[in-house]
Amino acid sequence: MALAQQVQLQRDPGARHDFARRVTGSPALRLVGRRLLTAIPVLLGVTFLTFVVMNLIPGNPAQLILGINASKSAIAQVDAKLGLNHPFWDRYWIWLDGLLHGNLGIAYSNQQSVNSDLAQHLPTTCYLLLYTLVVSLGLGVLVAMLAARKPNGIADRISLAVSMLGLSVAPYVLALVLIYVFAVKVQWFPAISNSLGGNPLTAIRALTLPAASIGFPLFAVYTRLLRADIVEQMQREDYIVTAKAKGVKPWRVLTVHATRNSLFTLITLVALNLGTLIGAVAIIEPIFSLPGIGAELISAIQINDLPLVEGIVVVFALVTVAGNLIADLLYAVLDPRIRYGRSAS
Amino acid sequence: MAAQLPDSTTLLAPGSAPLPSLLSARRLKNQKLARTLRLWVPGSIIIALAFICFVWPHIYSIPPGNTGSILAAQEPPFSPGHWLGTDPDGVDIFSMLVYGGQVSFEVGFAVTGVGIVIGGLIGLSAGYFGGWVDTLLSRVIDVLIAFPALVLALAVAEVLQPSETHLIWALSVFSVPAFARVTRAGTLVVRELPFITAARLSGTRSWRIITRHVLPNVIPGIVTFSLLGIGVVVILEGALDFLGLGIQPPQPSWGAMIAKGQGVLTAQPELVLIPSIVLLIFVMSLNLVGDALRERWGVR
Repeated sequence: MALAQQVQLQRDPGARHDFARRVTGSPALRLVGRRLLTAIPVLLGVTFLTFVVMNLIPGNPAQLILGINASKSAIAQVDAKLGLNHPFWDRYWIWLDGLLHGNLGIAYSNQQSVNSDLAQHLPTTCYLLLYTLVVSLGLGVLVAMLAARKPNGIADRISLAVSMLGLSVAPYVLALVLIYVFAVKVQWFPAISNSLGGNPLTAIRALTLPAASIGFPLFAVYTRLLRADIVEQMQREDYIVTAKAKGVKPWRVLTVHATRNSLFTLITLVALNLGTLIGAVAIIEPIFSLPGIGAELISAIQINDLPLVEGIVVVFALVTVAGNLIADLLYAVLDPRIRYGRSAS
Repeated sequence: MAAQLPDSTTLLAPGSAPLPSLLSARRLKNQKLARTLRLWVPGSIIIALAFICFVWPHIYSIPPGNTGSILAAQEPPFSPGHWLGTDPDGVDIFSMLVYGGQVSFEVGFAVTGVGIVIGGLIGLSAGYFGGWVDTLLSRVIDVLIAFPALVLALAVAEVLQPSETHLIWALSVFSVPAFARVTRAGTLVVRELPFITAARLSGTRSWRIITRHVLPNVIPGIVTFSLLGIGVVVILEGALDFLGLGIQPPQPSWGAMIAKGQGVLTAQPELVLIPSIVLLIFVMSLNLVGDALRERWGVR
């Protein structure tokens, strides 16, 4: 970004004063703007669909809260408190209005604000996903480079077999096997962790097995994808031949030249995957009794707690939008053609 | 380019496969054999699994997969009459695997089939016609892909009865947009090829171009993707059973077997391990066949 601005300033000294034109003229910013605009209908669609689906589930939430023997007046009171006496469209509108003001409503189950519920459970899931993504991406890039160094070599074959295993294993199966081996047999890691505690080391120990269960399949996908891309770049592209002819060291050609230009598909996939991780988190967290929003989602669905489900769905939808934005900005960082507004091939 | 001279850099590039003529006949034969094995070893595993699940129970009588005698509970593997043992309720594990496997096969193939037909139609029209059709359909696909699977699966389980048919429809909501996206991407590539322009210029109707010219060229991509897709669906169906949102007991399913075994993981790990290994082998074979076909047809 900084480089882009410098070049632009050199080319057109007047641009320094014309701030507005520079902002609207920046291709990266225009990309961000377009991405945000297309995200709005998707966000609306997802929240509305969740609203419809949750409303299709039979049963009055007030009745569920108060029990079967509740009086009519008590039910009416709770209905009024939770806003259930409004018609369907009004309720969705009120909820949307609240969302725009940063208020996600009141959960049916404990009648506390969804905001505070999320604030309580979100950190655990954030740490878990961060740990998962950092390790699986780091290892994935490393292994992909090792494998692509010599296609069909020994490292390539081993990584291919391992990633095929990761691609085929179900996360919940992996979680149980890991518990059996590392928590029951050798007892290196805890099988159950009700809270992460203040100590970062205990937190890492508690999160290692769940992160491995979610991360190993991700690692497999990332490795396969990146390896294929690097091999293609190394075999097809002229700039690789040029770099080799210049006498650039082989490992530098691999890491700096080929890998950098192969990262685009991987970034796209990681960004797309962020939203779908909610499914993995929802299955894995209850297995390890982790108090995250995945476990919260499962229990919220089972008691038909619409505001809580909507709150969690919105969080993950926003994470997906943010992930796609970061991906767009990373493209611009990696590819000068995008920075300068020419279309990349 | 006027003369098509062989480009020496591409021929000698490290890692690229040498031309057949540069190889000895023996090595070529080995390579051919390896290619055949890569397709047919996992392929025959899938066929064998299907045979055991669907034909075996008709030839040999096996114990029922949903009830058992408490007298025969927790028998270890290789017990007389129960060669894989029994679970804490005395249900025969092999029978549960067989009947649960039927569900996995049916759901996996049906969901993928629905995805191919409906998603394929959506993707073909979005990719071929472009314009507002594409914009509208793409937005719908985006919404469906961003929609969390669990919410819908539970709604289906609560509103309708949680049966196999309903499970298939619920999971199809996720296979349809995925196939629509893959088909659309393939169609966009094919649409720009010269023979489509030629067909259009010669006055061929749109539906004929789509069915006779575009479709045959996107089918290899769809088929290889669908093999990976079946694996994903089987894992997802297992996840729903595992959470108790899918096939309801006493009807057996692999996911429910794993969930039941979780309770006695320390005492009887084989209750988790046996269905897990079968699930792993099934999904891995599907993935390997997908890879082999992709290599054969040159699809990325």
